Amino acid sequence: MLISYRWLARHVDLSGLSPQDVVDSYTMHTAEVEGLEPFAPHLSKVVVGHVVACEKHADADRLSVCCVDLGDGGEPEQIVCGAPNVDTGQNVAVARVGTVLPGGLKLKKVKVRGVESRGMICSERELDLGDEHSGIWVLPAQAKVGLPVAEALDITDWVIEIENKSLTHRPDLWGHRGLASELAAIHGLELKALDFELPATGGGKPYPVRVETSGCMRYLGLAISGVQIERSPVWLQMLLLAVGQRPLDLLVDLSNFVMLDLAQPNHLFDLNSLSKDGICVRDARPDECMQTLDEVERVFTAQDMLICSGDRPVAVAGVMGGEGSKVASGTSDLLLEVASFHPTRVRRTASRLGLRTEASARFEKFLDPTLPAKAAAHLVHTLRAIQPDVTLPRALGDAGDWQDPACEVALRPARVRAVLGIEIPDEEIESILERLGLGVTLGEPWRVSIPSARATKDLAIEEDLIEEVGRIHGYDAIPEQPLTGNLEPSTFDPRRALVRRIADRLSGPALFHESMTYTFQENALIEMLGEDERPHIRLENPQHEGSDCIRRSVLPSLLGHLAKNRRLQPNVRLFEIGKGYVPELANERGEPRELHQLALTRVTPRPEKQDRFDAGAFAELQGVLEDLWRHLGRADFTWRQMQEDVPSWAHPGRCVAAFFGEHRVPVCMLAGLEPEVQTKLGLTGELDSEVACAELSIDELLQIPEATARYEPLPRFPSVKVDVALAIPEDMQATVIRAAIEKSGKGLVGSAELFDIYRGESLGAHQKSLAYHVLLQADRTLTEKDTSKFLGRLERAVADLGGELRKQ
Amino acid sequence: MAEVDGQVSEQAGAIRVRALAAIEGAEAMEDLQRVEREFTAKNGPVGALLASIKTAPPLERRGIGQAVNELKGAITCALEQRREALAADRLAAERRADDFDPTLPAASLDVGSLHPLTHVVRRLEEIFTQMGYAVLDGPEVELEFYNFDSLNIPGDHPAREHFDTFWCRSEAPEAASARLLMRTHTSPVQMRALERMELPFRAIVPGRCFRNETTDASHEHTFHQMEGLVVGEGITVGHMMGAMKTFLRELFQKDLEVRLRPGYFPFVEPGFELDVRCPFCADRKTRGCSVCKRSTWIELCPSGMVHPVVLRHGGVDPERYTGFAFGLGLSRLVMLRFGIDDIRHLLGCDLRFLSQF
Ligand SMILES: [Zn+2]
Repeated sequence: MLISYRWLARHVDLSGLSPQDVVDSYTMHTAEVEGLEPFAPHLSKVVVGHVVACEKHADADRLSVCCVDLGDGGEPEQIVCGAPNVDTGQNVAVARVGTVLPGGLKLKKVKVRGVESRGMICSERELDLGDEHSGIWVLPAQAKVGLPVAEALDITDWVIEIENKSLTHRPDLWGHRGLASELAAIHGLELKALDFELPATGGGKPYPVRVETSGCMRYLGLAISGVQIERSPVWLQMLLLAVGQRPLDLLVDLSNFVMLDLAQPNHLFDLNSLSKDGICVRDARPDECMQTLDEVERVFTAQDMLICSGDRPVAVAGVMGGEGSKVASGTSDLLLEVASFHPTRVRRTASRLGLRTEASARFEKFLDPTLPAKAAAHLVHTLRAIQPDVTLPRALGDAGDWQDPACEVALRPARVRAVLGIEIPDEEIESILERLGLGVTLGEPWRVSIPSARATKDLAIEEDLIEEVGRIHGYDAIPEQPLTGNLEPSTFDPRRALVRRIADRLSGPALFHESMTYTFQENALIEMLGEDERPHIRLENPQHEGSDCIRRSVLPSLLGHLAKNRRLQPNVRLFEIGKGYVPELANERGEPRELHQLALTRVTPRPEKQDRFDAGAFAELQGVLEDLWRHLGRADFTWRQMQEDVPSWAHPGRCVAAFFGEHRVPVCMLAGLEPEVQTKLGLTGELDSEVACAELSIDELLQIPEATARYEPLPRFPSVKVDVALAIPEDMQATVIRAAIEKSGKGLVGSAELFDIYRGESLGAHQKSLAYHVLLQADRTLTEKDTSKFLGRLERAVADLGGELRKQ
Repeated sequence: MAEVDGQVSEQAGAIRVRALAAIEGAEAMEDLQRVEREFTAKNGPVGALLASIKTAPPLERRGIGQAVNELKGAITCALEQRREALAADRLAAERRADDFDPTLPAASLDVGSLHPLTHVVRRLEEIFTQMGYAVLDGPEVELEFYNFDSLNIPGDHPAREHFDTFWCRSEAPEAASARLLMRTHTSPVQMRALERMELPFRAIVPGRCFRNETTDASHEHTFHQMEGLVVGEGITVGHMMGAMKTFLRELFQKDLEVRLRPGYFPFVEPGFELDVRCPFCADRKTRGCSVCKRSTWIELCPSGMVHPVVLRHGGVDPERYTGFAFGLGLSRLVMLRFGIDDIRHLLGCDLRFLSQF
């Protein structure tokens, strides 16, 4: 919201406060200020000139060649002007050579059709003062020639921008008078009196107004006669311009002025266009229509309220007038509407129609229902000051079932000190409350009376008053205190601790990079992965069409980023620890099951034929996971190939799950990518790679008890290394051979490391050869005999399995 | 006899000259070893000379033996000297580094990395846990009740509009406050904490929040916040000031001025905007920098005393207990900490970004 410094000065004497002082006062005591700018700074460069002569241009009918006295004691300047209304004897706004106009145009000496022109006589639009451009801006005769226009017209001003959000709870601050009264409270200034008494009206029946909806607390209808529609006086136009309003005509400007001054929206109807039955405020009938002032046809629901002339809608209550309510140019009889509407009803209508207006913004904040009468009086007084012949032919129509919200709130001064943590004496508290316009009755507790302007929304409980005292007193006066107290030592959340260790291990020895990705997933990605088969929570109002999916698992988010990263490097190692949401496992309160997950992806170049069997993404990621689990003291795991429930994005043959101890639910799944999915993800052609991914449930892992690492005594006798190669059928799994080696050692096998897998013609079809480094180890010195016995047993064991010990 | 003697010493002398020349000529340890083998082997020249002792008359044997021993001694001595000289040469050669270029690049190691948010969250967790705070967690998909109603923002409250809430589609039209949304702040965890924590307590809650805002370099629809909540007997605004100053001192390793301005948040009363003196220009002569937009203050977090309505919703008697709460913008703090100029990098999953931390 824009606030004018000069406008504030209409309500409170600002002689001791600069615009910056006002800004600082608001910042530290009232609300957030977003900016301070001079109003129309170019008006202090443009000067008042007097047209001493004006002749037609010899070569152009529509141009005038003017001689303009600029009051600088020099010769009048010759200026060519194209405006039809320029004339001798006028005072005009002159931009001299060198002046920069709004929009950045710098004036130069030019020749217009052969005649030299040294400057420009400006229209209002050229000075960014409204849309008026049918002619030049003719200044009042009393404007002193030679002075800058801002000074001559006394319109120097500053514009303060207040952040609307910080006024959400202060309906009283949506106008200049409310903000001026804050300055009065902060600095102990006097608020200037305003006449809120309506002048005497004609007798007879009041103007007929009826309220037929609970959404309208109060409706005032005041007939005004003898009005002439003209342009507003300069002071009014300039105030409106300062706060970003385009002046139109006196009636529109006045209506705006009262709203921006007192925060009370109002509306002026052409009285002659209204029904003799007067005004009725009622709920809209379903599907009732009306065209609003912005020339859009609106369709209403029973939630909306309409202002009707007789039964014909002429305005949307609290939001915008109807196209038919416009005041015709010849009219001199008006109906002034000033009303109180229910904030929620206005807000719903405004947001449903997508019509957030200055009026609705104020009604939404819950305006004081005593304000309409004051606003009506203020408008009439202001109008009369401009047009003294205006009359009020009929009594004021005043309808609605409203109550004065003024109330009393109990306050204990000791509580003020206890909550703020400051020593502030009773007298000071009392003084602050009174400066804020609150009444104080001392006692146990104090009774603080809240005027209606502060009572609708804002001040209702003791804490509200504590805030008032604190902010006016100044929060900078609060000394800091150390926290003390008997606290149970808090234990660090076990999941958080586990997550930390996981992230450290992965980002450290495993060389993975931690990523964080959005909780929302693109529908296209979900569909590509076939994950759309599973239920997802969806957004009602996603930011982009097609990304309304809330992830149920983290991994797809990472998969979506693989191609981009692969393009930059052949090796990608990414992990993310995050949450997924499962709607079908919601609890009785409707909260979806929250899953804590670790997702990992590894991308490597495809292994070459000569590479070791454990080259490539899958084997490496498997190694990373196994290392992680040992590091976390969860070494008792087995991998099982997944047969069912293989996700559609996983390679159907290369998908395994890790089970821990007796725990029946798998903790982790590791898989290659399904080839078609990989193609769709763009990891094909020159980006072709081996991709492995894993998803680990942190919730499940937490349930696996941690075994502390145990020391193993160092061997006292040297070990014996034996290399063996075993030819076996292709479909036999390595674990079988591993078990055979273990068994053949009769307790002597310290370790057996698979180091090669060979397939070749020498073996025959459907055969493979596994080669191991076996370390024999015992608590004595081993001999040749031990080795040959081991090899003998192994040879028989492998033969029993249908294989053959190839070499040793 | 003299003839024999003369013959032997002549031979010994010749061997000696040859041997010493060969030793002197050995340029490397291997050469020297070869020379040593050549002259000291049984069937070498010295050996042959010694063997002649067997066929010599007994009286001459002593002379031969003596000559051979002298010869052996001379060769061994020469070998030893040469060996030492060669060893010294080798060390000298090894000490030379003519081909060393100290500006050559070091080997580039593969390393992993933690997300910048993780770095900052960990630091904050350390600071606050040392100050007795528990670290809590709460759901990102939240009930309307926790996100709004329980925090004194009922259905028709105009403040709801400022949150630009992402609402979740619901299958069945249920009770209004059973509606789900993406939490717009970490504050719902205040209520969850009040429900389950023993009083008094101190807690922080780092986590993701969501707002349906247009995205640009400084706005994201998904961002991170850290809620703080302290509830106990006799907690005052002064305590909040103290807590924030302590935390800032730890984080920025210097004492920074803090100021409170009025701010409106329905779940606190009084409510504040807490500003901190810009740590990036506090020590400079000319105050103000691009980070604080020349104001010398940085808007750090909304804060305030927990609203009595909120305490009551959480089953806490506001007459007996008071508390303060604050909501730190984590994403912003991370950007400040590392000088990141575009918030969208944080969740962009780009290795070029991630590997920098
Ligand atoms: Zn700075």
